[in-house]
Amino acid sequence: MREIKTVTVLGANGTMGAGSAAIVASFGKAKVHMLARDISKAKEGIEKAIGSVKTDTIRPRLIPGSYDADLEKAVAESDWVFELVAESYEVKEPINKRIASSRRPGTIVSTVSSGLSIERLSKAFDEDGQKHYFGTHFFNPPYKMILCELVSHKGSDKKVLKQLGEYLDKVLGRAVVYTNDTPAFAGNRIGFQLINEVAQIAEKYSDKGGIALMDAIMSGYTGRAMAPLDTADFVGLDVHKAIVDNLYEMTKDAAHSTFKMPGYFQKLIDKGDLGRKAGGGLYKMSKTPDGKKEKLVYNIGADLYEPVPKFDIDFIRQANRRISEADYAGAMDIVKEAKGFEADLARYFIARYVSYSLSIVGEVVDTKEMADLAMGTGFNWAPASAFVDFLGGPKDAIQLIEKAKLPVPEVLAKAKPGKPFYELKEKLDARSLFKG
Amino acid sequence: MSEKVYILGGEQTDFQRNWTKEGKTFMSLMREAVQDGLASVGITPDEIKKLNKQNKIGIFVGNFDAEQYATQGHLGAFLTEVDPAFYGIPGGRFEAACASGSIALDAAATKIRAKDYDVAIVLGIEIMKTVSSSVGGDFLGTAAYYEKEAKGVQFPFPKLFGKLADVILERYKLPEQRFMGALAEISRINYDNAKRNPKAQTRSWFMNKEHANARGGEYNMAVGGRLCITDCSQVTDGAAMVVLANKSYTEEYAKKRGKKINTIPRLKGWGHRVAPITFDAKVAESKGDKYILPWTRQTVKDAYDRAELGVKDIDVFETHDCFTSSEYAAISAFGITQPGKEHEAIEDGVIDLKGKKPINPSGGLIGVGHPVGASGVRMMLDLYKQITDTAGSYQVEGAKNGLMLNIGGSATTNVVFIVGK
Repeated sequence: MREIKTVTVLGANGTMGAGSAAIVASFGKAKVHMLARDISKAKEGIEKAIGSVKTDTIRPRLIPGSYDADLEKAVAESDWVFELVAESYEVKEPINKRIASSRRPGTIVSTVSSGLSIERLSKAFDEDGQKHYFGTHFFNPPYKMILCELVSHKGSDKKVLKQLGEYLDKVLGRAVVYTNDTPAFAGNRIGFQLINEVAQIAEKYSDKGGIALMDAIMSGYTGRAMAPLDTADFVGLDVHKAIVDNLYEMTKDAAHSTFKMPGYFQKLIDKGDLGRKAGGGLYKMSKTPDGKKEKLVYNIGADLYEPVPKFDIDFIRQANRRISEADYAGAMDIVKEAKGFEADLARYFIARYVSYSLSIVGEVVDTKEMADLAMGTGFNWAPASAFVDFLGGPKDAIQLIEKAKLPVPEVLAKAKPGKPFYELKEKLDARSLFKG
Repeated sequence: MSEKVYILGGEQTDFQRNWTKEGKTFMSLMREAVQDGLASVGITPDEIKKLNKQNKIGIFVGNFDAEQYATQGHLGAFLTEVDPAFYGIPGGRFEAACASGSIALDAAATKIRAKDYDVAIVLGIEIMKTVSSSVGGDFLGTAAYYEKEAKGVQFPFPKLFGKLADVILERYKLPEQRFMGALAEISRINYDNAKRNPKAQTRSWFMNKEHANARGGEYNMAVGGRLCITDCSQVTDGAAMVVLANKSYTEEYAKKRGKKINTIPRLKGWGHRVAPITFDAKVAESKGDKYILPWTRQTVKDAYDRAELGVKDIDVFETHDCFTSSEYAAISAFGITQPGKEHEAIEDGVIDLKGKKPINPSGGLIGVGHPVGASGVRMMLDLYKQITDTAGSYQVEGAKNGLMLNIGGSATTNVVFIVGK
């Protein structure tokens, strides 16, 4: 096991920076240099870190510092430099140069990026630095979401990759998903495909219920802790834009058009309605005249917020009931047989999610288990393979995908009948992700 | 024993799950536990129907308080909701607070020993996250003498086991820091072990000895005298199921799987004793005794005697660490040390996963979680896994005999089983 005693975290004041530093200091017992633009921001990060894992015992291991005053010294004594500064080459590349100039041979440097090329970022380093350079994509909030996508590139050393993977898994308790250096990697590629396509269709059907209806159709019975558009609001519409714009530009797969961000997202971004962190986005909390909390939703057509309507959709009610009694296949049978516009959409989205999740096998990840783990532990969404089983097996899943006129992934087409398709049971009970 | 009782296996639910948050009912918890358990053992609904026709199968449900937590009683009959194959099968519910699972096991084993049934399905189940922790704490108070020990007391059980810690300190004149350090080490071991257990409630939680020793303050609040959050098992939803069988059925079962009967674990010994219900009465009774909990010790001795084994023969223990103080007291009850010397075994690594007498490789109640009525059955399942070398990453190498201690109340109902091949 690789020994990691001292770590430098850059961007330590952000939610992800502080949360990741907390993981390293608590589970890894490492001394962590918490670097931010200035020392007061770094100190804020320390408080956030302690609050995130709820232990004061890490306080002595968290050392505040600023980029200007402390970067070189901190990097020089670190075994791992974990960079979480803003998501752009313009910010990351100059920082990388500074890291490269003070980095000791053998020190691992990794970046948190959901879209940038790891290989391009590695170029700031000498040969040893490139061998030790990776993407370590943690998810928000790191203590609760245990996924870490470990991204390697052409120049990374396989032995170091293995050591880092073991450390992330065994010491830091992460669910490690090994991915190739492809846009948005596994979790966000799959997750934002669905989110953005749901957002597009919400616009198309804005007069029928729009955002709220789409989230109702894609609610807990489809294996989600949080519905897709609620998720976009949670991560922030600006972050959503960065991810889907990058995917639209950098990928040309069969789902290419689904990465085009809908216009109303841009409209909200321009107004500063970035989502939950800005107090409003696709949804907004409000108070009724009698002081009760009320959730509002953005009406795309009318450009205003209105109370979230309650939809009474028979097949969803029936599916929920089946799930509340732990009858998952029964719930999917209801979805398969239901009639009407909402059921057509539900089937389409489920088919899309299964089809696209499994389509990245070979390009982004080596096995379907990696794609499943990414979605199960990074998004709290039921993995595609578990859906296949609840839908009745590969044959039934293929039928659903073909009816939706979507590509049948090779890994599904080649599946052996009569065997469970989902193989991560010992790691993740997918049933827990279906909400009744 | 007149008829040998074998354990064919079983399954537990993932104790990390919160069934209320999942929008699932008490019945769904039961359904998943039973279906998973039967699939794991390899018993089909047709097989159940066949045994039922001969009146050779029974159902034993261990549960503490479904009435209050889930507004549901009559649990012995409730498996009929899981599968029509259970129509007609005699079933009953057994209650002894946190030892409910074990007295269900005891009743099932008795029916097999008496040759009434060939097969017994034992299910331990509790759903607890349906209510707030303070309301749940009050429900749990009924496992003590409610009027005297729990009425109007917030979180009565941490307080009772905090008193146990006080009595241990006083009776054995231990240096406080050393004793509390030993309790912290018990937490550390249980949480560490739970990280290896894919069904453990706390497998992704942060904990180390430093944190367990940092008692008080916002992040490790005192909840019962000197005991803090890190000394406690936590509220958990969960169920565990095992299948017991007599010798002739087990022989057939093994044969069908190309196995020999001596590869299948069996109950070698058992003990079941009840101590005075109030904690003060326990302490008063035990004055002058080497053991603060003499009935717990007696239960262990009964099991050793019936199994004709001693502590030297036991390779792995699963014990009832509802609180660190209860695991502490169990160490001498097992005979690993003399009473008052338990901290030495803890400090010397004796009870660690790789120690000479590993306790709770699963993570115990502190690590795996403590759905009260399920804990006894979960412990039995863990012993089954250890003895059949199927515990995966928390396997104790070469375990031949295991012992479990499950207690209800403040060590009031004590149940011990010894399992081996």
